[in-house]
Amino acid sequence: MTTQQHSTDQPHVPLSAPESEAVEERDAQPAPSTRRERAGLSWPVKVALRLVVPAAILLVWWLVSTSQRMGLYVVDPLTAFDRFVTDFLSADPSRFFLGDATYDHLFPSVGRALAGLAIAIVVGVVVGIVLGISPVLTGLFQPMVHLGRSLPSPALLGVFFFMFGTGDLPKIFLIAFSIVWPILLNTIDGVSSIGQVRAQAAQVFRIPGRDVLFHIVLPGAAPKIFAGIRTSLSLSLILMIISELQKSENGLGYQLIQSQRNFDYAGFWSVLIVLVILGVAFNLIFKFVERRALAWHRGATQQND
Amino acid sequence: MTETSAATAGTSAELLLDAVSKSYGDNLAVRSISAEVPASKISVIVGPSGCGKSTLLRIISGLDNPTSGQVRFEGDPVDGVPEGLAMVFQDYSRSLYPWMRVDKNVEFPIKHLPAKERAERVRFAIEEVGLTHKEKLYPWQMSGGMQQRVAIARALASHPKLLLMDEPYASVDAQTRADLEDLLMRIQAELGITVLVVTHDIDESVYLADRIIVLSSPPSVVAEVIDVDLPRPRDHIATKTDQRFVEIRSHVTRLLRSKEPAATA
Ligand SMILES: Nc1ncnc2c1ncn2[C@@H]1O[C@H](COP(=O)(O)OP(=O)(O)O)[C@@H](O)[C@H]1O
Ligand SMILES: [Mg+2]
Repeated sequence: MTTQQHSTDQPHVPLSAPESEAVEERDAQPAPSTRRERAGLSWPVKVALRLVVPAAILLVWWLVSTSQRMGLYVVDPLTAFDRFVTDFLSADPSRFFLGDATYDHLFPSVGRALAGLAIAIVVGVVVGIVLGISPVLTGLFQPMVHLGRSLPSPALLGVFFFMFGTGDLPKIFLIAFSIVWPILLNTIDGVSSIGQVRAQAAQVFRIPGRDVLFHIVLPGAAPKIFAGIRTSLSLSLILMIISELQKSENGLGYQLIQSQRNFDYAGFWSVLIVLVILGVAFNLIFKFVERRALAWHRGATQQND
Repeated sequence: MTETSAATAGTSAELLLDAVSKSYGDNLAVRSISAEVPASKISVIVGPSGCGKSTLLRIISGLDNPTSGQVRFEGDPVDGVPEGLAMVFQDYSRSLYPWMRVDKNVEFPIKHLPAKERAERVRFAIEEVGLTHKEKLYPWQMSGGMQQRVAIARALASHPKLLLMDEPYASVDAQTRADLEDLLMRIQAELGITVLVVTHDIDESVYLADRIIVLSSPPSVVAEVIDVDLPRPRDHIATKTDQRFVEIRSHVTRLLRSKEPAATA
């Protein structure tokens, strides 16, 4: 009798249902943090591919620098690189092999950019979560957010000087004010992307507000937040330069202006090299952090694709 | 099969629905539902799609308020999510937290407990649903059926007195569904909890239930309450070929087929 056969299945033994055997965990990726290779390309090919465009740019740069008219303003890459080494590097181990320009201009610039970025992240995420959680507040402040986002913030530099004097503060606040919008909008979006059912589950299990915030809302919105930060990161470098074009005593933007005024084109191009290096470095650090923070998300989206 | 009138003032009932109605604006979703959910039994609400089953579960769990009427859980009127209640949602992929591994998902609702008790409950719940050794996977690394097991384990770990399930097996394949139905009945028998399942599947309702609450089409009322006395433990082949099973199933089918809402309860 089938009933009898079934009752032998009843005792405490955890079910060894056919399903749990048959449907093994999909595509068991042991550590979700392992890098996933883009299909089909081995790494030497990938590295080579990545170098093609920079090499082409260098070539064009060099060609332009040899032309009759443009050559006056465009120094050749080697001269520029040579100047970069003299200004920004040194042979002094006690100064970590870094040159005067690094200490006098690069570090202050980067410091202000990072300070602005930090403020933008904190303000953007905190305000974004508050707005994202409350539909009423979103409704109230949505117009203001869109207004703020579309303000031509570089034009406001004068206002910031007026409000915060001439030191680092107006520059930092200009950067923060200009780049906070992508983070803010993405955070609002991210909070609503967590989903009603997950919120209801938290409610049914009577999860305290603190845990909901730190273990559901923040991680759930994190993918979108990171996307916003990525946009803001590149904006921060642009705003960093813009903020230093006026009333500045140091910084890469200041250097750009000074070298142009002094017809020092090698100096000008060496600063551009620094900016490229800076952009690449920011991006690498960002990717590194994102990879660790969002390992689950890459896995989850790969499954659903 | 014995039929009981729904509104009898029962005291042994774990959960009591008293003339619960719900309207969204002008749309009357639930007209008036009165029913008793007996303690330590499996009750099943069955009804056509859109008849307000999910709405009813949200009201029972305190996530939503009825427009009129009242829900009583262990005698107390429900106002906000009561203690001792757990829920398994239809869509596991939307109710689990994909950034937490299986054990963290299960542990999350009981984070406030001492570490030792927490670990013990997580281990037990995961063993109950047959997911031992899968604790360190992420939900999205598992099949749908396994994810729904995680959701069940999460509910069990919170030691509920009342377990609500909203079409828990609607998104898994037939074989998995059968396994999970048996899993539910085994766990319920072992732990003696009160279970209230919502489904639109007639077979499932008869197979699982000690009591079936049949809802009419919207605006819904209780069409009939049916106490199912099929012997336990039940079995997919023996039970489903049992003459009484077939009778009850036909009866429920007829109730759901009849177009006009049945007599107001
Ligand atoms: N939040 C809501 N706002 C407006 N109408 C709703 C809402 N939730 C459910 N309804 C309506 O209530 C009725 C019942 O829905 P639901 O409870 O989801 O039914 P079921 O779960 O039985 O399929 C439907 O007509 C639906 O449109
Ligand atoms: Mg539903």
